Amino acid sequence: MSHGAAVGIGAGRQPSARWIATATAATVLTFLLAPFAALVFATDWHDFHFAPGDLAAIRVSLFYSALALALVVLAGTPLAWWLAHYHYRGKWVVDALLLLPLLTPPLAMGILLSSFYGPYSPVGGLLSQAGLYLTNTAPAFVLAQIYGAMPYYVLAARAAFEGVPEELEQISRTLGRNRWQTFWRVTLPLARLGLTAGVALAWVRAMGEFGIVLIVAYFPQGIPVKFWVNLEDMGLSAVYPLLWVFFLVAVPLPLWLGLRSRRQGMF
Amino acid sequence: MEIRYQLEKPVTLDIQMQVRDFTVLLGLSGEGKTMLLKAIAGLIPARGHPFGGLAAERRPIGYLPQGYALFPHLRAWENVAFPLPRGAGRRTQAMDLLARVGLADLAERYPAALSGGQRQRVALARALARRPELLLLDEPTSALDMATRDEILDELIREVHDFGVPVLAVSHDPHLAMLADHMAVLLDGHIVQEGPPRAVFARPATMGAARLLGFRNFLAGRIEETAETGMVVAGSGWRLRTGFQYGMHPGMSVTVAIRSEDLVPGDVLGVPAPNALKLKVVSLREEGVALRVRMEGACSLDMLLPRLQCEGRTLAPGATLWVQVAPEHVHVMIEVQ
Repeated sequence: MSHGAAVGIGAGRQPSARWIATATAATVLTFLLAPFAALVFATDWHDFHFAPGDLAAIRVSLFYSALALALVVLAGTPLAWWLAHYHYRGKWVVDALLLLPLLTPPLAMGILLSSFYGPYSPVGGLLSQAGLYLTNTAPAFVLAQIYGAMPYYVLAARAAFEGVPEELEQISRTLGRNRWQTFWRVTLPLARLGLTAGVALAWVRAMGEFGIVLIVAYFPQGIPVKFWVNLEDMGLSAVYPLLWVFFLVAVPLPLWLGLRSRRQGMF
Repeated sequence: MEIRYQLEKPVTLDIQMQVRDFTVLLGLSGEGKTMLLKAIAGLIPARGHPFGGLAAERRPIGYLPQGYALFPHLRAWENVAFPLPRGAGRRTQAMDLLARVGLADLAERYPAALSGGQRQRVALARALARRPELLLLDEPTSALDMATRDEILDELIREVHDFGVPVLAVSHDPHLAMLADHMAVLLDGHIVQEGPPRAVFARPATMGAARLLGFRNFLAGRIEETAETGMVVAGSGWRLRTGFQYGMHPGMSVTVAIRSEDLVPGDVLGVPAPNALKLKVVSLREEGVALRVRMEGACSLDMLLPRLQCEGRTLAPGATLWVQVAPEHVHVMIEVQ
């Protein structure tokens, strides 16, 4: 028994209390992770093969998610920086509005998008005149992923920027660096843990986005929609190979980023 | 260098003062001293000169905020190299500056692994790397341990003298002001007094300034006599001789200020005793090796007795005590409490 640690940390606490805490934690953790055991047991390892179109779905998801992620970071980072740095009356209204896409159920969001960008809307009409069709096309697919992922990225990035002491940015200015240089040399390095978390979160959201994509861009089919199609057309067993691929391609990036930032958390 | 700055938000300040070598601006916490430095650095909107109207990054100043604000993601030498242009000599220049503040050995350390004094010197080297025309220090003593404070301050002052850059340090610490070449006192948003520390500490211009400078005893009285050799000030039940001051005439209401450490027991200044007052001891408190004696009677006074003068005396609350103050240590101000 680690007697010294018990005395040092939880002085006066009953040993049974520690057991209860550990047992509760273990139970909840088991509850959370148990369904993933099904992935191993339910997969038909003897007849492990992809359904027709699975590989295309993987390509679609990887390529367009990467594109969506790049656009989310490019557009979301300046917005997050602005939200973190500017204070004015009525800012809470902007904060609340920012939560709106996050709080809207994905299917509802999809319907809103198709109403706004669809061929019969004024915006969609203008865009289609310019040759950009935002229903069941690759741009529509990316658009749906952006709407699914950007709010999460902006919230995470904003928190990351708010965590950078303003004083350090001010000192950088007094040392002859303008705002742009200060952003690259001070703000970005110091916010990188939080930004990394935001990128990881946005990646998983973009890869896994189903509700919005289903309404706006059923085609080209990415992995989540293909799950649905396989399940409907061929049954449960046809889903597992694709699910394995999803875990292998979607999860490593956030996992790697998360572990890396945890290790480098201390300077 | 003359500094003139005005700002309205978040505090109202109208500052006009000289900066010579190591200058200390003394003021209470919350007076807006930090805001003045930020205004001079161009970090908050203000009107003034020098540097007025320039963007922060174009002002030739070095700013050391409280806690020094070193970049935690950069090593000591990288912090110092931060303002230097990219190029081959960047690291060498940074190392030279670190060597000048005696920290060449710690160049590879991150700020988290440096002591308060070391951080201050890295921040100083970083600020000087830009070759500033003016160095701004915010409460340079606040993050230092008492044990090493004086040593670090001596070193800091020696270093800034070496570099030959005028320094404006803001502080609420009279001890730091005593070490300055020039000082100013900030009260209610204005400079109420400035000059060499010796002159300012001896003759504070107002009661507020006197409080800031460590005076504890204030007596309301009236000028009774004036002559070239000195004056007499009196209140209810007390009379004190003082040195002559211009602008005083009999009948004027004044406030007398006396430092606690300038009061001595009756037998110390010798006979004939000038300014002897008979008072009753109310309370005693040890302050390190000294003794603080609170007395009441015709007036309330606070005396700080060094241990040399405590020897051979038995002081207790309730005891009667004769105390004296030299006429040149009785400071008279035309200001009524």
